[in-house]
Amino acid sequence: MPTFTMNGQDIPFEKGDTIMRAAWRAGIEIPHYCWHPGLSVAANCRMCLVHIKTGRQGAMPIMKFDAKSGEYVPDTKPKLWPACQMGAQEGMDVTSESDDVKKAQASVQEFLLLNHPVDCPICDQAGECKLQDYWLEHQNSMKRKQTEPVHKPKGVKFGPTIVYDAERCIMCTRCIRVCDELVGDPVLDMRERGNRNEIVLSPGRELDHDYTLMTEHVCPVGALTSQDFRFKARVWFLKSAPGVCTGCATGCNTHVDYDPRYGKVYRLRPRDNMDVNKFWMCDDGMMTYREVHEDRVNVATLGRGDDRQAVLFEDAVDEAVEQLRRRDKSKVAVVLSAKASCEDNFALAKLAQVFGSEHVYLAANSGWEGDEILRSEDNNPNRAGAEKAYALAKGGLVEELDDLVSDSLGGDIEAVITLGAVSADIDLSALEKIDTVISLTSNDGALPRAASIVLPTTSWAETHGTFINKDGLTQTFKRAIHPAAGIKPAWEVLRELATALGHELDFESLKQLRASFAPPPMAPAQQSAQA
Amino acid sequence: MTVTVKVLKKPKRTLADQVYVPAIASGVKLTLTRFFKNTFTSRDHEANEIATVMYPEEPRTYPPRFRGIHRLTHRADSSPRCVACLCCSTACPAQCIHIEPAEYEKDDPRYGYERYPATFVIDELRCIFCGYCVEACPCDAIRMDTGLHMPPSTERSHFIYDKEMLMSLPGQDRTFLSANPRHEPGDPSHPGIDREKGH
Repeated sequence: MPTFTMNGQDIPFEKGDTIMRAAWRAGIEIPHYCWHPGLSVAANCRMCLVHIKTGRQGAMPIMKFDAKSGEYVPDTKPKLWPACQMGAQEGMDVTSESDDVKKAQASVQEFLLLNHPVDCPICDQAGECKLQDYWLEHQNSMKRKQTEPVHKPKGVKFGPTIVYDAERCIMCTRCIRVCDELVGDPVLDMRERGNRNEIVLSPGRELDHDYTLMTEHVCPVGALTSQDFRFKARVWFLKSAPGVCTGCATGCNTHVDYDPRYGKVYRLRPRDNMDVNKFWMCDDGMMTYREVHEDRVNVATLGRGDDRQAVLFEDAVDEAVEQLRRRDKSKVAVVLSAKASCEDNFALAKLAQVFGSEHVYLAANSGWEGDEILRSEDNNPNRAGAEKAYALAKGGLVEELDDLVSDSLGGDIEAVITLGAVSADIDLSALEKIDTVISLTSNDGALPRAASIVLPTTSWAETHGTFINKDGLTQTFKRAIHPAAGIKPAWEVLRELATALGHELDFESLKQLRASFAPPPMAPAQQSAQA
Repeated sequence: MTVTVKVLKKPKRTLADQVYVPAIASGVKLTLTRFFKNTFTSRDHEANEIATVMYPEEPRTYPPRFRGIHRLTHRADSSPRCVACLCCSTACPAQCIHIEPAEYEKDDPRYGYERYPATFVIDELRCIFCGYCVEACPCDAIRMDTGLHMPPSTERSHFIYDKEMLMSLPGQDRTFLSANPRHEPGDPSHPGIDREKGH
């Protein structure tokens, strides 16, 4: 692999790489605003200027006076080039630390802050803002401009999800390029020039495609803010756990940002994974964090309809065990869930095995609109994993919820154990004819509503788990927040049920359970490319 | 590493030190002087040198930079200057400040632009009165210049100060304003927030 030298370090590069991309791949950061690894090169922020000493045509040789030795030494004319646009060449000698480069970086930084309102206290980007970081690293001087800054539109609603502040904008055009290149919907553009420059919408349009939050995600400053996250939390309080999006079968990798003080998840951010989502996520996926706090089932309940009453978790488990003991185990139906993790599905499949039950079904969401970019038409994060568990329990053609409804009308089923909550639009009133319907779920939904015994379980943010995406890629996610007191993952509850019924499931820990579907070791959480 | 040792000489005692009588005499003189002075002069401790203050009937005047109970300063339209940036609660070593930010209403000139504290609660029992919140505040919105210390109470809830309570306390100059007026969005001195007014 050819290499060039940067700041005395050899950096390998591939054909077609720019200096910036090669350095990024090697884990070296050249300060930049407009460059993003997933977008085209704009080279308009001028923050990434570097000095290419030798190895480039046109690097004009000069004799430079060296004050230390008092002699003239050979050098090249200090013409600076944008590293994001300059292709890497074999044998280049690049420096991003010389005095010329430092002066250029400080000047660009001062220029970008010339009309900036410096309203960091009310800006949601504060704490993860590149203007703040680079001011400290590369400028660190007071503003010299004494006059009133130019005022531009603030608080402009670009659409249902994004608010724009032109005063904070540095015109890097990343958001425009996201719309053009990632989504193919050129809804944003730029108007005016110089200090009147601002981002505008196409006439008669709103920023309303499926990836609007990516414009906010790539914004290096606080110009674009998310209507959802706006004013909710300060980012320096948030911690991050590696997650996997539960929106669809693509399984985009996420950072789950949560506040450990309140045990609350505030947002998702895409986590770079070149094999799955690259740098991106869709809006619906970004909003799946709401499942962790909305429509949660936090208490165990017994009974149906108006007779439903909250009971202690242990009492509900005892009641479930008592009822199951009276049933014919081979007539206990289990319903796996394409929304639940592999751990929960395999635990339930193993329970069906020890029961000797042939009635195994798979509940799944009924799908949504997919696209060519990331969104899969299957809006279940773990259909592949649930089908694997299905094959373990029964095998053959997968039977779905409507099969369960027809089978239960046939009277062949005495009890049902269901996992998770799905938004399937099927009439489940047939299930209410069955006396024992146990639902293990984190969220409310059609299945828990039809159940006679509801046992609360952890949501995906409150436990470790594994999803298998549509391409068969096994991905694990880690716990972000702690569940409410006494709430356990479904696989633990199932194991308790089995033990109380006198059966033994062949696992005691998460590690042993995972051996049945063998996820690969978790890759260390990568920092997002934007940071 | 060498250790340098400095030998100190034991101080020698004179005869006067040895017999104690002169020291006792000077002590008795000081005691009697204070006794007669405190007995026969006025108790106006600001006019003369009497150090004793008949607390709590007679509170001592605190120095101007005394860090007392917090207050939230007002804007000219008596809305809070606070923008709920959470810098104070970030800086607070006792974690006694709880703020919930909110957005201004739709018809407010600051709508879409600024935020304000929907709730602002200080647990004065937890507070260690270090003044870091005042230092951290970028808007001069929180101050400790009320000149008051915490009034005692046997009820814990009396020490939980909410936004209304904090905004009802004036500074030592008996006004609610901050000494550092700024032109903020929504103020008449601010050039405006839309393109027409802005240029």
